[in-house]
Amino acid sequence: MDAQQAEKKPIVRRESKNKIRVDFERTPLKERLKAKFLSVYFLGKVVWWIFRLVLMIGISYIVLFPFISKIAGSVMSPEDFVDVTVRLIPKNFTLDIYRAIIEELNYWSAFRSTFTLSLICAVIQTFICALIGYGFAKFKFRGRNILFMLVILTMIVPHQTLQLSMFMEFRYFDIFGIVRLLKGGGIELFGHNIKDIGPGVASFFESLNILPDELKLFKYEEVVRGQTKEAWRIVMAVNEEGINLINTYFPLMLLSLGGLAFKNGLYIFLLRQFFRGIPDELEESAYIDGSGTARTFFRIILPLSVPMLITVFLFSFCWQWTDDFYTNLFFVTTDTNMLVKIVGTIPPSLRMDYAGQDLYYSAIRNTCGLMIIFPLVILYAFCQRFLVQGIEQSGLAN
Amino acid sequence: MTNDMEKAAPDVEASKQSAPKKRKKIVSLDRRKARSGWLFVLPFVIGFVIIYLPMIYESIVFSFNKIIPGTGGGGYTLEFVGWENYREALFVDPDFAQTLLSGILEMAFDIPAIIIFSLFMAVMLNQKMVGRGVFRAIFFIPVILSTGIMESIEAMNILGDYVEDSTGIDDGSGTSTADQLVSAMDLQQLFANMKVGTDLVEYVVTMINNIYDIVNRSGVQMLIFLASLQSISPAIYESCKIDGATSWETFWKITFPMITPMILVNGIYTIIDSFTTESNSVMTFISNVYSQADGNVVSSAMAWVYFLIVIAIVAIIGGVLSAFVFYQRKSE
Repeated sequence: MDAQQAEKKPIVRRESKNKIRVDFERTPLKERLKAKFLSVYFLGKVVWWIFRLVLMIGISYIVLFPFISKIAGSVMSPEDFVDVTVRLIPKNFTLDIYRAIIEELNYWSAFRSTFTLSLICAVIQTFICALIGYGFAKFKFRGRNILFMLVILTMIVPHQTLQLSMFMEFRYFDIFGIVRLLKGGGIELFGHNIKDIGPGVASFFESLNILPDELKLFKYEEVVRGQTKEAWRIVMAVNEEGINLINTYFPLMLLSLGGLAFKNGLYIFLLRQFFRGIPDELEESAYIDGSGTARTFFRIILPLSVPMLITVFLFSFCWQWTDDFYTNLFFVTTDTNMLVKIVGTIPPSLRMDYAGQDLYYSAIRNTCGLMIIFPLVILYAFCQRFLVQGIEQSGLAN
Repeated sequence: MTNDMEKAAPDVEASKQSAPKKRKKIVSLDRRKARSGWLFVLPFVIGFVIIYLPMIYESIVFSFNKIIPGTGGGGYTLEFVGWENYREALFVDPDFAQTLLSGILEMAFDIPAIIIFSLFMAVMLNQKMVGRGVFRAIFFIPVILSTGIMESIEAMNILGDYVEDSTGIDDGSGTSTADQLVSAMDLQQLFANMKVGTDLVEYVVTMINNIYDIVNRSGVQMLIFLASLQSISPAIYESCKIDGATSWETFWKITFPMITPMILVNGIYTIIDSFTTESNSVMTFISNVYSQADGNVVSSAMAWVYFLIVIAIVAIIGGVLSAFVFYQRKSE
């Protein structure tokens, strides 16, 4: 066979002045197809292809099924939950649950406050983590490794460990006793107050009382029974123990500013890996051109890392949005309505006592969940291509 | 070292030129860079010192004290009790030690499963195939959406259990395994003659039955693996192909060694993540103790015991894994 093929010479034809056409005598189509499709190699490929597709579809189903079943449950009417023939497809289609949640649970006001909080936190976290990650990636300084260990430490300490002290920290917020001093409380050292030395000292420290009893922010006008009244969106009580930051956005903002909020260690790590992948020559040439480190960072590095920044933004926004630990810890009154708090409340018009009650309430809870994540689904649809792209560029393996 | 000299050279020239005018102190580039490095990480340093350190300190103090609420200026007073809380957590509370042990065993079981699964899926998603973009988008949905509140909703979702019960594969045996994807008994019988070992079979069966949980928890790991897979130069694969290596060989000889650093990273991340999620049984237990009596300090002591164990496990596993890590740059 080989010898035969070697003997066959290609037919060479001159088509025009400087163009040659070479025709090889080819094996017949039937044999070529045979060689291609009847081989073990090809069979293996086909089996692998089918196996992979089935596996992918199967796992997609596992991922999507909880959402599908939640959507199905959300459009069912109460009768469907006692009907044993109804599983996934509702017999009596209704949007009652959605209507009740929007009208009776103050959905839009909760949406607004959650959106504001998540946006503020996500922007701060993305920016701060980028700064910190860049510092760890591109500069050598003493104590860098120890500091990075501390970043990892903040990730390892479960936030439940700090639950109590975190609440106390922001309930009585005070930095090194400055608030106490400015509130006329003197300076406390090792359990003793300097104020106690003598009456003169005490009156001096008490005259330092320059902070108001209440810090107010964002004035707006409220209409109560036809009368316009001045009101403040944020009121924080101040006393010698500190400022009460509970029920405001400040605890989460402060945590974000320090790179200490939920999963910030992960963001810092990801961004550090990303910045490490950027060649040093880029910054060196900028330094030679006379640009400082800050300017280099903002003008050259940040524009380069937009996909990665979007990835981190997406993470921090979504995780802040669905977070219930910090939200329940820092927002204790019902005035500040957060989206995660609508879960567990049954809208009054839907309350009923019947056999399918438990399933129905479960469906209501699920619908609340769906309405919470609905905006995130839209955001994800737009941002998901950056997710892989951003991390792809980071060259994590290096 | 020579590299550093090159870096510094132009800058020294520049500062020499400007020196007579401004009389600025000449600082070497390295030191200036070190200083700006500190400036970049300053937010973390400040946050750590002002917010985090007091919290940790206070939490440790709490764990050595009893809180008496309703007295004193701040609404509570502390009474020092020494190791009493720890003693109570470890030896008096009947459930804590047991929950702790079973929680750790559960982790020892889950973590390899998550790592193997996410590596496998990342390799799959890295291949060219029909609808890769769609599958990628679907697989990363749990990372974004199934966190926080959704996790707690899922935990109380009796409707979901109800629907799943009826759609499960009924193997006709009439036992309660109807809602499981794979029946362990059948598989064990199948593999009994193949000398694979019942433990391994049981492990795989449990892994498949917990697949939803595992998929949900391996999103970030998948992402990290996928990224590191894509940063391997295609030239290496090409040369392997030319040399006639099969894809199986290529995986074990090229892909696997190249991503071992990421296996270390993912291993540690998975440990931390599964130890600190709210769905973790030990975490739930501690939260319950905390909420039973308002601000029960025994929960602080429990959390610290737990934390120390986690640190020890991270250190041990990190140490063991890093011995197997292959670094491409070592030779340079």
